[in-house]
Amino acid sequence: MEIVLETNNLEKKYKDFRALNHTNIHIEKGAIYGLIGKNGAGKTTLIRIICGLQEPTNGGYIIYGKSNNSNDIISARKRMGAIIETPSIYGEMTARDNLIEQYKLVGMPSLDGIDDLLKLVGLENTGKKKAKNFSLGMKQRLGIATALANNPDFLILDEPINGLDPQGIIEIRELILKLNKEKRITILISSHYLDELSKIATHYGFLDNGSIIQEITSEELMKKMEHKLILKVSNQKEFVKYFEENKISYDVVDNKTINVYGKYNLSKFINELSKKNLIADEVHEQEESLENYYMNLIGGGNND
Amino acid sequence: MIKLLNAGFTRLRKNKLFWLLTVFSFGLALFMIYTQYSDMKKFGRVIEVEQLMLNYSTIVGIAIAIFTSLFLGVEYSDGAIRNKISIGHKRTNIYLSNLIIVTITSLFSYIVFLVIVASIGIPLFGTITLPISKLLMLLGCIFVTIIAYTGIFTFLAMIISNKTITAVVSIMLAFGMMMNAMICFNKLEAPKTIQQASIVNGETKIKEVPNPRYLSEDKRKIYQIMVDINPAGQMFQIAGRTAPNLKVLPIYSLGVLVISTGVGLILFKKKELK
Repeated sequence: MEIVLETNNLEKKYKDFRALNHTNIHIEKGAIYGLIGKNGAGKTTLIRIICGLQEPTNGGYIIYGKSNNSNDIISARKRMGAIIETPSIYGEMTARDNLIEQYKLVGMPSLDGIDDLLKLVGLENTGKKKAKNFSLGMKQRLGIATALANNPDFLILDEPINGLDPQGIIEIRELILKLNKEKRITILISSHYLDELSKIATHYGFLDNGSIIQEITSEELMKKMEHKLILKVSNQKEFVKYFEENKISYDVVDNKTINVYGKYNLSKFINELSKKNLIADEVHEQEESLENYYMNLIGGGNND
Repeated sequence: MIKLLNAGFTRLRKNKLFWLLTVFSFGLALFMIYTQYSDMKKFGRVIEVEQLMLNYSTIVGIAIAIFTSLFLGVEYSDGAIRNKISIGHKRTNIYLSNLIIVTITSLFSYIVFLVIVASIGIPLFGTITLPISKLLMLLGCIFVTIIAYTGIFTFLAMIISNKTITAVVSIMLAFGMMMNAMICFNKLEAPKTIQQASIVNGETKIKEVPNPRYLSEDKRKIYQIMVDINPAGQMFQIAGRTAPNLKVLPIYSLGVLVISTGVGLILFKKKELK
């Protein structure tokens, strides 16, 4: 699988504050990579560095095989589009004029695609209305349109749904999915709205205190979050043998704990096990939300 | 670079500030012609049209400070610089393209003024009496000094990320340069001797005594260099046709441009953007 972006022990210090601390992320081609972290975790700093707005203190990154220390990084950036914090649009211009400006900046040979782009983001009827008079959602969509002007292969969206109303959130979500599915654009999207990210991301990177504490695919994450029974057992091998024979989805957590995934009637399940002389010391039923999973991952409220 | 310039000039054409600057140059030319024409009619004064052509140079620095700080300030406030870098434009090219755009705009503003003054002023006040080569030299010096001004104000606009602060600092600097030039001229123009009145035996006697405010040769050189380096000082000397060595002024201006742009590029390349 082709890697679009890879960071290697990225560090960023501001005087005594370490915003990024040996950060390692890997984004595969075609992914929607959800960068999750609370405010101040280092999401925007990471994105600023990737976009060339700031230099890392240590470590480096590679975009489309081009290292940040090589001159070729400029050519790699030409394959990118980005919205960092707020969309980069001229408030005094109309949506169309903003796109004309962006088309010229990226050196598009003609202005033919502008109508399609406006249609794609639902701004085809804004006429002479200046961008400064747009709603926040419209500004975000115009920002995405400008970021798409160079037909990027890799789109970076920093907190694109911040401050949007529910309708605006839905519009942005659908647009992101459309771009990923129809135009095959790899997307890095940072947010602290976990529920919203869980609706679109194919991969996750959990960032806390400047470090990626886990990278995981959505399948793996869903598996971890699905309904499960946590069994505390003393004869683990026999349990594992039984689960293997009966094709029951499970995970061995430690030498006394096994997670069993799927929805089971608890009493029936225990009864079935006891028929095979498999007696668990403890059985807990659990269904985890992404929020719970994230909070457990970063160590609960201690990190706040 | 070509893409940046192309996009920059596209924005310029649709920019209110650019059109305001153009209208200002146009209006200023008309205003100067009108006031001079009134003087000519009322007092029978002889108006030199070439002097009118040079007069805008004394205040053009303020116009450039306002235009540059607000036009380039938007690059930060609307996130345009961030956008340009993230899509792969080099910082050097971003800086230089902005410098080129504000320089051409500032020169254009002066040319608009010249065209209006020449096309209306010559029929009203008569033809240019100054040798054309001399006038062209003075105008050439003005144009080079305009480039020095744009170098300084582009430096400020690219280094300070806040549009309001850029505007305040630029305008204050423009006035500061004018004040500094006036103070220097005031010192340079102090007479060598002054008249001193004294009463001896009830009789008032006036005698010439050395002026304590008259600058020594070394100080005169320093003050002259200060007004020569200062773009506002250059403009006053060009407009007043008082420069002791006119040919040296463009060299100082180019020096100001090279230093401000060189330092600006170094700082902008290292600047941590948000």
